Amino acid sequence: MAPSLNDDSPPSTIDEAFTENNLQPFFVLQKGPSRKSDRKSSGTGRTRRFDLSSASPKNSANIEDEKEDENMNLRMEAFEFVWSKIESTIKDVLRVINTNVFSEIQTWVHQSFDTIRSLGTPEFPEATQSFPIITDANSKRLFTGLVLTKNMEFVDDLLTFEELGKHLKYQGCHVANLSSLDFTAKNGVGGCLRSLLRQFLMSSLDPADISILASWYREENCNNPVVVIIDDIERCCGSVLSDFILMLSEWVIKIPVILIMGVATTLDAPRNILPSNALRCLCPFEFTLGTPAERMDAVVEAVLVKPCSGFIIGHKVAVFMRNYFVSQDGTLTSFIRALKIACTQHFYTEPLSVILLEFASEEDNLVFEIERHGLSPEVIWKHVFEFPSCQRVKLNKLTSESLAHAFSELKRLQNQWRAVVLCLYVTGKGEKVRLLDLFCEAIDPESYNQGEFDTNMKAEKDPVLSSSQIKGHVICKAVRLVRDLSTAQLGKLLKMWENLTVGIPEINGKVKELLSLLNVEDGKSSKKDLTVTPRRHTSRIQLNIEKDSKSLSDKAANLIECMVRDYMHPTECIPFHEIFCFKDVDKLQLALIGDPRRGIQVDLLEFQKLLCCRCCTSSSNALLPSMHDTSIMYKLAQEHGDLINLHDWYQSFKSIVLCPNSKRKPRQSPLPKKRKGIKEAESQSEASIQARFCRAVTELQITGLLRMPSKRRPDFAQRVAFGL
Amino acid sequence: MDFNAAEEEEFGFSRNYFLAKETGSSGKKSARKLSDINVVDEQELREASANIEPKHQNDVADLINSYKSLYPKWVFDLRCGFGLLMYGFGSKKSLIEDFASTALAEHSIVVINGYLQSINIKQVIIALAEILWEQLKLNRKVSSRGLPKVQQPFSSRSMDDLLAFLDGPEMDEKDSFICVVVNNIDGPGLRDTETQQYLARLASCSYIRVVASIDHVNAPLLWDKKMVHAQFNWYWYHVPTFAPYKVEGLFLPLILAHGSSKQSAKTALIVLQSLTPNAQSVFRILAEYQLSHPDDEGMAIDDLYSISRERFLVSSQDCLYIPLTKEGLEKLLSEMS
Repeated sequence: MAPSLNDDSPPSTIDEAFTENNLQPFFVLQKGPSRKSDRKSSGTGRTRRFDLSSASPKNSANIEDEKEDENMNLRMEAFEFVWSKIESTIKDVLRVINTNVFSEIQTWVHQSFDTIRSLGTPEFPEATQSFPIITDANSKRLFTGLVLTKNMEFVDDLLTFEELGKHLKYQGCHVANLSSLDFTAKNGVGGCLRSLLRQFLMSSLDPADISILASWYREENCNNPVVVIIDDIERCCGSVLSDFILMLSEWVIKIPVILIMGVATTLDAPRNILPSNALRCLCPFEFTLGTPAERMDAVVEAVLVKPCSGFIIGHKVAVFMRNYFVSQDGTLTSFIRALKIACTQHFYTEPLSVILLEFASEEDNLVFEIERHGLSPEVIWKHVFEFPSCQRVKLNKLTSESLAHAFSELKRLQNQWRAVVLCLYVTGKGEKVRLLDLFCEAIDPESYNQGEFDTNMKAEKDPVLSSSQIKGHVICKAVRLVRDLSTAQLGKLLKMWENLTVGIPEINGKVKELLSLLNVEDGKSSKKDLTVTPRRHTSRIQLNIEKDSKSLSDKAANLIECMVRDYMHPTECIPFHEIFCFKDVDKLQLALIGDPRRGIQVDLLEFQKLLCCRCCTSSSNALLPSMHDTSIMYKLAQEHGDLINLHDWYQSFKSIVLCPNSKRKPRQSPLPKKRKGIKEAESQSEASIQARFCRAVTELQITGLLRMPSKRRPDFAQRVAFGL
Repeated sequence: MDFNAAEEEEFGFSRNYFLAKETGSSGKKSARKLSDINVVDEQELREASANIEPKHQNDVADLINSYKSLYPKWVFDLRCGFGLLMYGFGSKKSLIEDFASTALAEHSIVVINGYLQSINIKQVIIALAEILWEQLKLNRKVSSRGLPKVQQPFSSRSMDDLLAFLDGPEMDEKDSFICVVVNNIDGPGLRDTETQQYLARLASCSYIRVVASIDHVNAPLLWDKKMVHAQFNWYWYHVPTFAPYKVEGLFLPLILAHGSSKQSAKTALIVLQSLTPNAQSVFRILAEYQLSHPDDEGMAIDDLYSISRERFLVSSQDCLYIPLTKEGLEKLLSEMS
């Protein structure tokens, strides 16, 4: 068992640390199921799957605590519900994005298969021989689909290739997914073969031999292509990959393999890693996946803008996630992970988040009983009144009905917000307006409260003011785009707006009005000149019409401005949004990006803040003997260059440890007599100081902040980190 | 602007680095030798280091206790499918083991000690598979699920099979995961790429949740984005404990002890314990011979081979060399005898 923390005296000697388990490479700390059966026999009506409170030290006899537990379990349930919804939405979105490419690949696979078949199928005696058939050079061609991922981060495409595999399997192909890890120099070509056999034959045979695969294919009635997908060829070992290709190409008549390879950089990639004899076997075709930015926008639209789970993120969180994506990590995967961390945090910290379970599933008439969520009404009301958003609106009396009303109001406002954002998005889509940027701007409560959108719009109209002030304002950019549209384009855009605002009569009416005006204009113009298409309007100068269309696009621009001003309420401005909205950006950042390099150094440099001891806090930055040894040593190391002379380091450590007043006294005592008297004690403490010095050096070595002396420089240790 | 701050920070890095270089080389480099220190006898040093009086014992205990309030949160995160990664100065071994044994009382827990020199990851995974097998049998869902009736023993299965078994289809009772506690996932025994890849694959299995600790400032360099985002799925926690690195530092030489020639028998014992049972037995033969023939020069390798083969400890001479060449064990062993 692990040493318990409750022990007041932690093991004081190393010998105690030598417990059996600490020196085992691994050990079983406890086995679960026995306790589980105990729990089951006690049989509560509802199976509580997990006792989250068991860890907390309080005695759980309290009813309040039990309620709290129940609430926690409900929150877990709500989290699972919400997250599975978000996850499946993301999967669907990504699948839809890839649909076209996938079906393109699928047709190509079948065509290639037919071509291979047309070269002839092996006769029975030939087919049963355990060596390949080669008739001519053509029969050695391996059809290869190069899928350009347009993304250096292959982690985003893992799912894509997995889905592609599933898609092709569904279409009747035999599919195996190989990763670059299967192509290592260590395992050689045998490694990939073994993986193929595992996936096709569902068994692992030790002598991995391709003739086994051939006989397997003969037994499967030979009517379906065999597809091998390699997710990222640039990370494969070139020689192994070329061996693999050469081997497959020899067997291609017996096993009609079609290769699909992911390429992150350019089409030259195979040429860079494969030798010419392997390249000659390939018969390449090219496919292209969507860019990460496109995928990101699709995910943001489906999960954060359109109604999905009810869970939303606050402005600061969104901006952090956007910056992390744009300038640090660059993968959609990490964006989704960040979202999941945010979601976890939210459900853990917000007791009322259980409401999301119903909020997401029900449409209207939200009726809920507080008691169902395992919290007493008093607790809830108290909690609700503490929301800053509710204090702002000064709610004085709350009932279940008023809460339900507030929620439906929130939903209504969110719908309006959504419609406006989507209208802006479709407007700017062609001009590279990214939904992620737009989203971040649209949920900014501050600029909304200050009416910034409004002032920016005004500045926009005035070209002199605009340039610097509006820089980066995506919303304004979208609005400006509306002004420059031709009548035909405007017509299309208004149609889209009309569809997007269907549920919101206030906006929808205005859009329809504008659309009818446009139709009238159109009618006029076509009456005047029946043969001319709207495109040529500009070439034929018809002042009237141009003026009208100009005024129409102005009207449209005004409309969208007014939509932004009046209907785009960021969620953070709506009462009760705290229940649904995660805003704690610092927590998210800490959980998502651990920074051990900085963290560990700060621990050492500012340890007194963490340990909260009184003895080590002094006004000056002086080192005190009571400080943690390793901390003293690390602070001392800061005074050295990249090399630390161990002798000097030791001496300064010793002088600090020995001097009670932190002033570095000269070590030679002026009185030799006195010195003699304390000599014995000193020699004793000498050993302990040296031991402490050694321990501190070892600890610094464990943290990686120090490199031990090399043979060339036996008297110097090397500093590794410079600055936080 | 964020970008400016980041740039400034980066500039700070390089400036610090070059400043340090400068003071290191051009300035008056201290020429004093380590040998100028009047180093006490090694035995004494070891004794003293075993008896170092801990500083701030109560503050450290308070700090570690304060993390108890985070236990429910950690459990929540594990249930949500994350792996927990603890960092910060100080040994976190007792903290995470305490967390696992108190807050995850209903789960099986396997602890891997990454600070040891050599760890056979396959053995760990075999043990995990066996635990899971027992667990599934107990849940009586096994028979109806149609898991293979006649089953190959786990110890003879391939890594891929074992991992596939641990990554079985989602169970009805979602929370019946096995918790794998990895002390020092960046430790010397786990630091190589292959082991990290296996650990990552293990972490992504549906029946497994990982709670790990790191101590090295560069530990994140062990993982690529696939491992971090898709497999380990780390949830970072900064939990400095300031507890002494007792076991973790056991295998590192004391800087003031001269050379590594005088490693104690205890260290030899530790290395011996990290070997496979068969290799241990080979050394037992050697040791027994040495003890019974104290005047002999040593045992002939052929004799050792034939005896080992008779006892089914090795199958070929090559196998015999593997344990013998490990980490200069011969030297240590001679000392022990």
